[in-house]
Amino acid sequence: MTQSAKIPVRVSHIEPLNASLRRITLEPADGRLFPASAAGAHIQLELIGEARIWRNAYSLVSPPGSRTAYTIIVRKVPQGRGGSLFLHERLAVGQTLNMSPPVNLFPIARLARKHLMLAAGIGVTPFLAYRTDLAETPFELHLRCRATDQAAFETLLANWPQYHIHTTPDLHVSDLLRRQPLGTHLYLCGPAGFMQSAETAARALGWPEARIHQEHFGGPAGGHPFTAILARSGRTIHVAQDQTLLEAIEAANIDAPSLCRGGACGECRLTLLAGSPDHRDHFLTESEHATSIMPCVSRSHSETITIDI
Amino acid sequence: MDQGIKSRPRYQPFRIDPTGTRHLIVTDQPSPPPDTPEATELWTLSPHPGTQIFATPTLLFAALAQHLAGQGPGFRLYAIGTEPFIWDAAHIGTEAGLTMQEISLHHAGSLARRVHCIHCKTNIEGVTTNIVPCNSCGAPLFVRDHFSRRLRAFMGVRVDAETPGILPPTETLYA
Repeated sequence: MTQSAKIPVRVSHIEPLNASLRRITLEPADGRLFPASAAGAHIQLELIGEARIWRNAYSLVSPPGSRTAYTIIVRKVPQGRGGSLFLHERLAVGQTLNMSPPVNLFPIARLARKHLMLAAGIGVTPFLAYRTDLAETPFELHLRCRATDQAAFETLLANWPQYHIHTTPDLHVSDLLRRQPLGTHLYLCGPAGFMQSAETAARALGWPEARIHQEHFGGPAGGHPFTAILARSGRTIHVAQDQTLLEAIEAANIDAPSLCRGGACGECRLTLLAGSPDHRDHFLTESEHATSIMPCVSRSHSETITIDI
Repeated sequence: MDQGIKSRPRYQPFRIDPTGTRHLIVTDQPSPPPDTPEATELWTLSPHPGTQIFATPTLLFAALAQHLAGQGPGFRLYAIGTEPFIWDAAHIGTEAGLTMQEISLHHAGSLARRVHCIHCKTNIEGVTTNIVPCNSCGAPLFVRDHFSRRLRAFMGVRVDAETPGILPPTETLYA
């Protein structure tokens, strides 16, 4: 969070969309206006629990350019790291939180001849902000979701001229990718498995990288606890199984840059000095993995890892 | 003569992009590239066995635009030849929705340039010298290495603006 100042926000509305989805509206708590954000942007919320702090990223679903309120939709993940449970069970209207300014790692490609948007589950959220910005460009939106979420998502998509919801395995991604005209851009957002298989299919069909856009979310999965030696600070810290390396560094009061906290943007990249890293990012190349690590998602295979911070 | 201008395109040697699934090569050169895989089509201006032949670049580009309208992901376009030819091909490709990741350009043959007179916006074809008179406004133009991908031409700038009538010697540099 060294990049930009935090913005204080007040929770102004909480609406349940179904048993596991809630829409949360945030307003500026300092009497100022929010920065205007573009379609596809996300913010980071600082959630201060009793035992720990979560810094979780959420896509903005409010229309691009909104400055008096931002809206997010949060899925309750009982077996998650706790941030979503905090937002579902502890958050109340009137509460204030710290928010990072919006960052956009998933913008609409302006030169696209067509937009093909593939979402799974709560991965539909960044696309909700796309609607008013798609202009005259043709598009297709396909959303794969559980039957129990269908009604809630249909309500969210009510102002879309057309969309496709798939609650059975009838979304044939390869066929869809094969029949797109030249100049189509592909946008993927959903769980890692969904995105990986769609990306693999796209590459097998010859889609060039510049026309594949991905928004990774879901947050880092935990792993074995390990010890990190912070060479420059001369500190040794413990990384718990449900904590990320970045969170452990922050808990030790060391100021570390971060942005997306999902292994996508490269902002938190650190130099790796020793140890056997468990790379989980989507940013560094294979050769960069030899000397760098992204602490927001990556962990360690070895009991100890040494990084330059 | 290197003018130290970064917009001067640099070209890689020809090779088929293994991430593509269908490949079309267009060329204005008499000899086709060697060793092309099976899924490759070759369009030329001169007769070769197994290629589609066009009488002029204009006819080839018209057919290309039509061909591209029916293509989808996996298509790769390669243009081999003189710079005006390969950049015209790239223009047809990007107009059809291809990104430059799906197009590869390879210079072969003459170095003759298309020069864009920045004063009257006229293109002068086949320029081989460092100084060329604009065939529309008559200005003596210095041919810069400054290349515009949008205009598909090198920029020609009046060379005697400060000393009217006094010109550096004309040399043939782009034969």
